[in-house]
Amino acid sequence: MDQFESFEDGLPGLLPRLRRFAHTLSRNPADADDLTQATVERALRSQALWEPGTRLDSWLYRIMRNLWIDTVRSRGRKEDLHAPVEEAERMGEDPRSAIEASIDLKKAMAAMQSLPDEQREIVSLILIEGFGYRECSEILGLPIGTVSSRLVRGRTALLEMMGGSQGE
Amino acid sequence: MVHKVSDETFFAWLDGELDAGEAARVEAEVAADPRLSAMAAEHRAMHAKLKGAFDGVIDAPMPGQLLAAVGNPPQAELIDFADAKRRRERSFWPSVTQWSAMAATLAVGVLIGTLAPQARNVAPVEVRGGKMYAASALSNALTDDLASAPRGTVRIGLTFADQSGAVCRSFTDQASSGLACRDADGWRVRGLFAAPEGQTGNYRMAVGMDPNLAALVDSTMAGEPFDAAQEKAARDKGWRSSQKPSDQAGRE
Repeated sequence: MDQFESFEDGLPGLLPRLRRFAHTLSRNPADADDLTQATVERALRSQALWEPGTRLDSWLYRIMRNLWIDTVRSRGRKEDLHAPVEEAERMGEDPRSAIEASIDLKKAMAAMQSLPDEQREIVSLILIEGFGYRECSEILGLPIGTVSSRLVRGRTALLEMMGGSQGE
Repeated sequence: MVHKVSDETFFAWLDGELDAGEAARVEAEVAADPRLSAMAAEHRAMHAKLKGAFDGVIDAPMPGQLLAAVGNPPQAELIDFADAKRRRERSFWPSVTQWSAMAATLAVGVLIGTLAPQARNVAPVEVRGGKMYAASALSNALTDDLASAPRGTVRIGLTFADQSGAVCRSFTDQASSGLACRDADGWRVRGLFAAPEGQTGNYRMAVGMDPNLAALVDSTMAGEPFDAAQEKAARDKGWRSSQKPSDQAGRE
């Protein structure tokens, strides 16, 4: 699935998924949309590098992930370590779009932010974006064992934070 | 954990990553161990909650700057709003195949046909009673042409019904694109947008919908765009309102 004959056919339809991935990685929706836009721009500039017949979605996710990592690193570890919960709580005051109105999304973003980057990207690709372990390891360039063990840690931490059974 | 299934294996099983034989073994272990069963249930619930929260992003309106960012490739806006509409109404993520097929249909609708130039160049709109209506060649094209068979310089893009049931059609002319809806007095123009610099002529405008027009279409359309058969049927009915008596169509 998800193979496209041309870049132009594939990119617009993948935009909502890319935007969701950006929300799982980013501190707030504004950052997520900036990341999505940067990804699209980067992808359009380098579309000659994508090989038709291969998965366009994986290729785009990799671009986004790399841009995100660059941003995180340039922002510096110090700031990044604090970003999570309070920041996400304030999000609701920005009436920018209907997205912020969702309490569930706010909480979910805050929970994801509390994970270390290297767990968050894996939790996102597998649990939110629906990639298999092998696809995830290819997107991230990591051994599958590393993916598997980080996923265990990430989802265990999330369960502690979010709980399993209590309602929405 | 103190059981025989490692965490990695347990979660690989939960995620459907194990082969059949190993999955069956873990399945049996989990079934026999209340603690593992409870853990599986909790993690499944957490997963559903987490995914459900982020899935809201898929259904949220796409900001203009993101639409514009993918606006370079032909068809981008055209595809996107129809796709967004479909998702909003059915609230599921359409399969890629379904999506591509629909996009192909829409794109073909505006692409196919001759590029025969039409010499006459009269004003495409006129104002009557404070309202702007399509005139001359534009009015004729809106009344007579099907998206699959453009005849002059005007091409019809999408045909659809608005909230009141009135039939609306998007169109592209050499230097502009717009949306007109049928009322008792003719094709009332709801929006008219100039072609971006460098995109006049025939090809580019025909395939890439102006983002402003895409937004207008999106906010006007009720339901799905007409397919070729519905479009033809609507023409055969004289573009009369599909849901309300014709005397209501277009009266606001």
